[in-house]
Amino acid sequence: MPTEPHNEPSTLPTWRMKVLVGGLCLFWAALAVRLVDLQWVRRQKLAERASRQSSYLETIPARPGEIVDRHGRLMATSVSVRSVYIVPSRVSNPWQTAWSLADALSLDADVLYERIAKASDKHFLWVKRRITDADADRIRQLKMPSNTWGFREEYLRRYPQGNMACHVLGLRNIDGHGQGGLEQTFESTLRGTDGRRVLVRDARGRVVEVKDEVELTPQHGRTIVTSLDAVLQVYAERELDQLMEEKKALGATAIIIDPKTGELLAVASRPGFDPNEPSQIPDAAWRNLAVTAVFEPGSTFKPFVVARALDKGIIQREEKFNCENGLYRMGGRQLHDHHKYGMLSLTDVLVKSSNIGMAKIGEKLGNDELFDLTHAWGFGARTGVELPGELSGIVHPRKKWTSYSIGSVPMGQEIAVTPMQLIAAHAALANGGLLKTPRLVMRQQEVGATPGGFATSANEADTHVVSRVCSAETAAWLVREPMTQVVERGTGKKAKSRNYSFFGKTGTAQKLDPETGEYSHSKYIASFVCGAPAEDPQALVLVMVDEPNDAGTGFGGDVAAPAAGRLLQKVLLHLHVPGTAVRTTREKL
Amino acid sequence: MFFRFGSAIVLVVLISLTGVALEKENLELKRAVSRQQFQLDVLRNEHAQMRLRTQQLGAPVRIVEALEQGRMPVRKVERPASNSPRQMPLLRWQKTLDEP
Repeated sequence: MPTEPHNEPSTLPTWRMKVLVGGLCLFWAALAVRLVDLQWVRRQKLAERASRQSSYLETIPARPGEIVDRHGRLMATSVSVRSVYIVPSRVSNPWQTAWSLADALSLDADVLYERIAKASDKHFLWVKRRITDADADRIRQLKMPSNTWGFREEYLRRYPQGNMACHVLGLRNIDGHGQGGLEQTFESTLRGTDGRRVLVRDARGRVVEVKDEVELTPQHGRTIVTSLDAVLQVYAERELDQLMEEKKALGATAIIIDPKTGELLAVASRPGFDPNEPSQIPDAAWRNLAVTAVFEPGSTFKPFVVARALDKGIIQREEKFNCENGLYRMGGRQLHDHHKYGMLSLTDVLVKSSNIGMAKIGEKLGNDELFDLTHAWGFGARTGVELPGELSGIVHPRKKWTSYSIGSVPMGQEIAVTPMQLIAAHAALANGGLLKTPRLVMRQQEVGATPGGFATSANEADTHVVSRVCSAETAAWLVREPMTQVVERGTGKKAKSRNYSFFGKTGTAQKLDPETGEYSHSKYIASFVCGAPAEDPQALVLVMVDEPNDAGTGFGGDVAAPAAGRLLQKVLLHLHVPGTAVRTTREKL
Repeated sequence: MFFRFGSAIVLVVLISLTGVALEKENLELKRAVSRQQFQLDVLRNEHAQMRLRTQQLGAPVRIVEALEQGRMPVRKVERPASNSPRQMPLLRWQKTLDEP
């Protein structure tokens, strides 16, 4: 009898089933634990890490501010240009890359190869900064792998007026840092503050999002409005160029100032340079003689001594002085005049620039008063003009002054001044005895949306320091009488004008001979300071020439006065100051 | 039951589609703003370049001598370009997007 096959259920043994279920449970439990770990325990840390890996902080460079003259003429601005870089760590064939780039950018291939090889583990290397559009096109045509190179926008500083006012402006180096002039003084104001924005990139490095909420808006640099007048600056520089050529001088400087406000209308120095070509600037050209030349003022100092003596009542305007026929013994010292003078009025002491007459006034004043007046007129301290590297001149401490000082200081020796100090002091005379800080910056302005379009907010940079250094009557008398006579019939007559009543004072300082340590008889610093109109001074000009080497003399009246006179004449015409004839007619009417 | 389930699915899909549409609109606006910012930068730079060039051409150092010697005629501007300081147009991205 056939039997039915016995169908036993194909079940796994119970223990195996338990192991399988347990394993699966453990697996899911492990997954759950991992999930909790990732999503809860380490969520913050992992999220930050992911954000760090995907986001990229990009700097938005602030546009540097501009420098303009008092009429808005552009003197310094910035334009955006490209710079090219490579990623050395991704360059597979450094020599081929160096050769191609060098050919496109006119560089030395060997030098570039060495730079790439040295930085082979780095992720960034500048190849050439601030390239032209043509250079950029040539690099694109090389078709190098896109992840090995790139362009970066940078600002290039340009000076549209060329070498004009180069010492006042200074320049910006390749990294955008100000060097010299207003570029250095107002570095932070002009530079502005860079902005930032966060970019989110995908795994291939492509930008997929610009996050607005963490963006820091760049604060563009502010515009500096200077007190310079570009036309007057050109006049001043042309005169200096002519002087340098004719007199074969070591250097020269010219300053034009408005005595009423202390605003500098022009500041020029030679030798000069083109700030657009910083690599070609000779060392000597960096020096701004207007604030760094330190020299004995000579006769240009005499009016200040006379002013103090008059204000103190020690001398009178009508007083006469015995000038001892050109030879005067002061203790163990002999003083000389250039010409033999007998009795001279106070006016003539200044007109003829008598050293003996001034020494006698010095004797009446004494060292204490001389020391005090020297400081009161601003000598021995920086004027505070907004130019870097300004020197304070030399005024020895009072204890070092000797009996010689009584004779030397009144004729402008034993002390040393800068051209800026000298013109600031003369501006005080022309301004009724009020000494003002000379200044170059009228205001700083927010740049609006456009470079050059000024927004409404303007800050007056009013840092004027005003002090009275002599009485208004004394100042007016000195300007209208002795100093006008200096130009009419004295040492400064080569500056005389037919249209205007000039006043001025010549100065000739002997330089120290480094070999003998004594005053040289062939090396001079010639200076002349003049202003006009004497009745109501509108402008003052100082011209100083360092070591004029022409065949003639080195006297201020011969070298500096003609140039200063021509310059002042042009300044007055440019400022529409009416001439003497016009003034007389107006007064008659 | 089936109708309720279907309605719920449809509602969820509609909300999702609305979210996607809003996100797309948001991205489009962001792109427009970025584009305008980029154009603004380009215009600023072009303006700076042109201003630099005009200032170079009209620099006193170039023309004073010619004017003094009468080699350059002095003419008054017949019609001034503008009497008011130049202003940058506002970012009108919304209007731009609305326009066809």
